[in-house]
Amino acid sequence: MMLERTAAPLPRLLAAEVRWVFRRPRTLITLGLFALIPILIAVGVVVADRNGPGLVGAVAGNGLVLPVAAMTVALALLLPLAVAMSAADALAGEAAHGTLRGLLLAPVSRLRLVGVKAFGVLVVAVSAVLVIAVVGVLAGIVVVGSADGQMVTLSGTTLGFGAGIARVALVAVWAVGQLAAVGAVALAVSALTEHPLVVLAAVLGGIITFGVLSAIPALDWLQPWLLTSGWSAGVDALRDPVVLTALGSSTLRALCYAAIGLGFTVWRMQRRDA
Amino acid sequence: MTAWTVREAAVVTAPPAARAVGLRKVYGRTVAVDGIDLEVPAGAVLGMLGPNGSGKTTLIRMLLGLTRPTAGSAELLGESVPGALAKALPHVGALVEGPGFHPFLSGRENLRRLAAAEPLLASGEIPGAVDTALERVGLGHAADRRFRGYSLGMKQRLGLAGALLVPRRLVVLDEPTNGLDPAGTRDVRTIIGELHAAGSTVIVSSHLLAEVEATCTHVAVLAAGSLLAVGELAGLLDAGTGGLVVTTPDVGLALSTLEAAGAVATAAEPGVVVTAGPDAPEIVALLVRAGVAVHEVHRRRPRLEELFAQLTEGGIGTEGGSPNIGTEGGSPSIGTEGASPSIGAAGAAG
Repeated sequence: MMLERTAAPLPRLLAAEVRWVFRRPRTLITLGLFALIPILIAVGVVVADRNGPGLVGAVAGNGLVLPVAAMTVALALLLPLAVAMSAADALAGEAAHGTLRGLLLAPVSRLRLVGVKAFGVLVVAVSAVLVIAVVGVLAGIVVVGSADGQMVTLSGTTLGFGAGIARVALVAVWAVGQLAAVGAVALAVSALTEHPLVVLAAVLGGIITFGVLSAIPALDWLQPWLLTSGWSAGVDALRDPVVLTALGSSTLRALCYAAIGLGFTVWRMQRRDA
Repeated sequence: MTAWTVREAAVVTAPPAARAVGLRKVYGRTVAVDGIDLEVPAGAVLGMLGPNGSGKTTLIRMLLGLTRPTAGSAELLGESVPGALAKALPHVGALVEGPGFHPFLSGRENLRRLAAAEPLLASGEIPGAVDTALERVGLGHAADRRFRGYSLGMKQRLGLAGALLVPRRLVVLDEPTNGLDPAGTRDVRTIIGELHAAGSTVIVSSHLLAEVEATCTHVAVLAAGSLLAVGELAGLLDAGTGGLVVTTPDVGLALSTLEAAGAVATAAEPGVVVTAGPDAPEIVALLVRAGVAVHEVHRRRPRLEELFAQLTEGGIGTEGGSPNIGTEGGSPSIGTEGASPSIGAAGAAG
């Protein structure tokens, strides 16, 4: 007797998930709005007659710093929100629409479902970061401009265009890692509820709470455990040579959050009524 | 050996399409399903009847592995649930708790997304299978409209199409006629008939009794989480209240004659009803010999609606003892001693 298929091919499932993600109007609107972030910063920097200190100030006349500044600004709240929204739709939203049932009955095994959903959320995170990075580079070159397409590092040295782009790419990859952590935790919440709003509230509340905790000096010992405490590490990619300590530790921390979040999601989805 | 006998043999040895053994589900302090034993023979069309909240949907959800039972076990097409669910589900189409689709996608896109997850569909077959399913439920004209704009009936039809994407061995339809107009209801009946003719097993839950009576071969009646009756529709109806209805103007004479012969009879317009006693021919002979004018004699065969009302209201046997409803062959039987109906084979685990 021929052994028959008990599961649809994985690439087909992933492709269907990605198509679903990008057919959602809110995904497209969000990505469109993200494209505006570097443009707004670029215009702001060019229009301003004096440039303050900090990362945004460093953009002036130094276009390739713009994508890094834009990613850092967006990572504080906007990027995590976008990822949380997609994670909210992935499980809680599908449960609310009754479509989770359809997938489970097809059948898509519960473990596979979590894998497919995590992939979808990761695709959103990558797309969002990519939009900011690419538009950031273009706006940096066109609107802000820089001498010979070079990047002046925070250490004062000058990098060629290729090396500058490599620094931007490094920050982009690092930011995706941080967002993967947010996405995994958001998926875990999404596995617990049928209300997508709960997921958004949980992620937003979590980020704000982490921010408050890290501002309390008596709780300094808590810093290494807070996901958000490493979110300013992107700037380190603009030093020469690159300072990897904070980038590395925050990436490690993000991987731990991602593993715990995904683990909980799998555990919960095995038991969930759909 | 002819092909016919081979096929018959295959049917006989086929495992039941679905089986529940002591299935029980408790939500907090609410017992949704109270220890149900049920076997759905392959090829049957089982109508699952019960008032709202009787546990129909919970039972279906446990059979499909969507809800974990508190106790008991289930089998789907001979595979254990949830252990070997992946082997059975590709052959199972289901519409449970209303159609679930994404409002921003068209009907066709929604179905394509579902079809992508169907193990038995090769990637190349997906567009064709989706079109066929849409035509079958009469949604071809609205396939490219967004689900958001569908009427209740169209949504229901799309849900049905999702269950029919692949030729199925078992199709489970939970309230399929919800929101459908009379034409839609007729379409559902036709589709169930086609599935039955093609050898598929169908489990259909409904509160529309006429619907079930028209399409089903088997019936399971649920109330308050328990199985009150299960068996072949014809058998259940015959065994129902039973009794012989004698139309006669001579009610007094008839009653005394019957009483003398040891039969149990009551006066009921337009004559008497005999609920126990000798066989029909003997009763007729008895009455005629006594000089009772017999205009008509027929066996009382209740419509499903009456049977259902009697079962769910615990009203069986309110007159004269506690008769059992049984089907031929030792299937579960019901009795109603006391206030709460006690169930024979079913519900013992409760």
